[in-house]
Amino acid sequence: MNENQYLLIKITVGVIATIGLYSVLYRETKVYRFFEHIFLGLAAGYTLVATWKDTLFNDWFVRMFGRAADAATGQEAQVGYWIYAALLPIGLMGYMVFNRKHNWMSKIPLGIILGLWSGQQIQIWWDTWGPQIYATMKPVIPTTFDSLTRPSTLEVVDGRLVPIPDAARLAEVNNLIAQNVYASQALSNLVFVLTFVSAFSYFIFSFDLKGRFLTGINTFGRWMLMIGFGAIFGSTVMARFALVIDRMSYIVNEWLQVLLRGGA
Amino acid sequence: MNFWEKAQKVDRRVLYAILIFFVCGGLFFPATIPVDPDPSSKSFYSEIKKLNPEKVVLIQSDWTNSTRGESMGHFENLMRLLMSQNIKFVFYSAADPVAPQVARTVITRINKEREGQGLRVYKAGVDYLDLGYFPNAEATNTNMGNNLREAWKGRKARVDGREVDIFATPVLGNVKKIEDAGMMIVVTASASIDVAIQRLAKRVPIMGLVTGVVGPGVLPFYQSGQLKGVAIGLKGVYDVEYMMANGINVKPGGEGKAKVEWDGNNGAEVPPVTEGKTLARGQQYYGTLHVALVLLILAVVMGNVSMFMARRRQGEEA
Repeated sequence: MNENQYLLIKITVGVIATIGLYSVLYRETKVYRFFEHIFLGLAAGYTLVATWKDTLFNDWFVRMFGRAADAATGQEAQVGYWIYAALLPIGLMGYMVFNRKHNWMSKIPLGIILGLWSGQQIQIWWDTWGPQIYATMKPVIPTTFDSLTRPSTLEVVDGRLVPIPDAARLAEVNNLIAQNVYASQALSNLVFVLTFVSAFSYFIFSFDLKGRFLTGINTFGRWMLMIGFGAIFGSTVMARFALVIDRMSYIVNEWLQVLLRGGA
Repeated sequence: MNFWEKAQKVDRRVLYAILIFFVCGGLFFPATIPVDPDPSSKSFYSEIKKLNPEKVVLIQSDWTNSTRGESMGHFENLMRLLMSQNIKFVFYSAADPVAPQVARTVITRINKEREGQGLRVYKAGVDYLDLGYFPNAEATNTNMGNNLREAWKGRKARVDGREVDIFATPVLGNVKKIEDAGMMIVVTASASIDVAIQRLAKRVPIMGLVTGVVGPGVLPFYQSGQLKGVAIGLKGVYDVEYMMANGINVKPGGEGKAKVEWDGNNGAEVPPVTEGKTLARGQQYYGTLHVALVLLILAVVMGNVSMFMARRRQGEEA
């Protein structure tokens, strides 16, 4: 069997599996179940082998047993440390969750993982939200009305749009931009800050919001949240369509073309 | 039963059949649709074009076939961009054991494509490294930040049939800590990008290539500067391809209007990619996505109108 024939068989199997899995759109049949089980079995089997080959073998087995040098492959000798064997019983304790009498043991490895994870959280919290809180502090009052919009750092030279060629003038413009808040920027920042504050205020549950101003902000926040959720949902729909388009492309572009070319 | 009542009771299988028919049809007619790329995509492209060829790029490839429609286009674009700039890279996964194999398949295909175009083929162990899978993204990224050499200790590369330590290869020879890398790029369909930002954004510039589902959650990281650039979903795939073909602020023939304009990056010109493929999977899928979305909107409008009409008729009869 040559490479082209192998490719054709490989893609054809993929097409049959795709159609088999999409048959659920018609109704759940044995064909769909068959391909679903094949998919799950393959994923589980592959994960097992990849985890051993890529991770456990290098990062645990070899470090525990060491290995001899091999001149043919250029592999260097490595010393083993038996202390790595201590990890095995800790890992195996996780499987005690299936034993009613000894399932308390499974909480030991779980506790270690949770402890390691929890210990990182203070720093992680700040590294996640700190820069975002800082980025939310935006100026909303313009400092100049010389121009409503930010001055451009571009200029048309010989029909091409390029940064201002005169270095001193470019520096001057950049300095103006850095030191001033222009009206258009202030307006844009105001929309951002209003959205942030109103959406944030929606989650104030500690006291009852009364008065037209506070309830108005709260309602505005709810609208902003709804718009946000709508945008997220739209993005998700597009992502799902992308999956269908790709599977159809697999059949139409990859398989059909290979078939028409006779496996080439 | 009148027309509007019948329209409300259309079998969902008929709708699936219509969708599949139009999607397949759309794939036969790929079109270059003019697009204004998102600012986050423009930042991504601009940052990639600014990369120092002497510095290695770390790619955390956390996608698998389940998001092939978006992530494969992203990964292909990334490969074409890096290879066109002769930039060395390392890839690994911290999210899924299957992910490295999917990435390997794409690299092999892009290399074949380049070979067919008479371009330089990237060699494993010399131009790039495949580190495989690291379980637990939190621990992996924390270790990479603390001590990269210790975190990747024991991983080997095969160069000309011989097994060598990855830090003895030309790819990672000069890298002692993560700060020595030029950029870290996370290609993902999950929150693994959040984990990378939380643990490594202070040490190395990070960019993302993410799916449409993950995108909205990642944008605040871009706005706060924690991400230097991000391309989102199928639109992001096409955005990057469009910029690869047309550059940013570059006027065709030096005259007229640039196809992609941007006042970020001081408005500087960012050149297009001059070798290999530029418009590819994104171009092919983007037009078809429009067909599918038009169908969806029509179905929603039709469903609402028919419900309204049917209720009105019921009201009249009563």
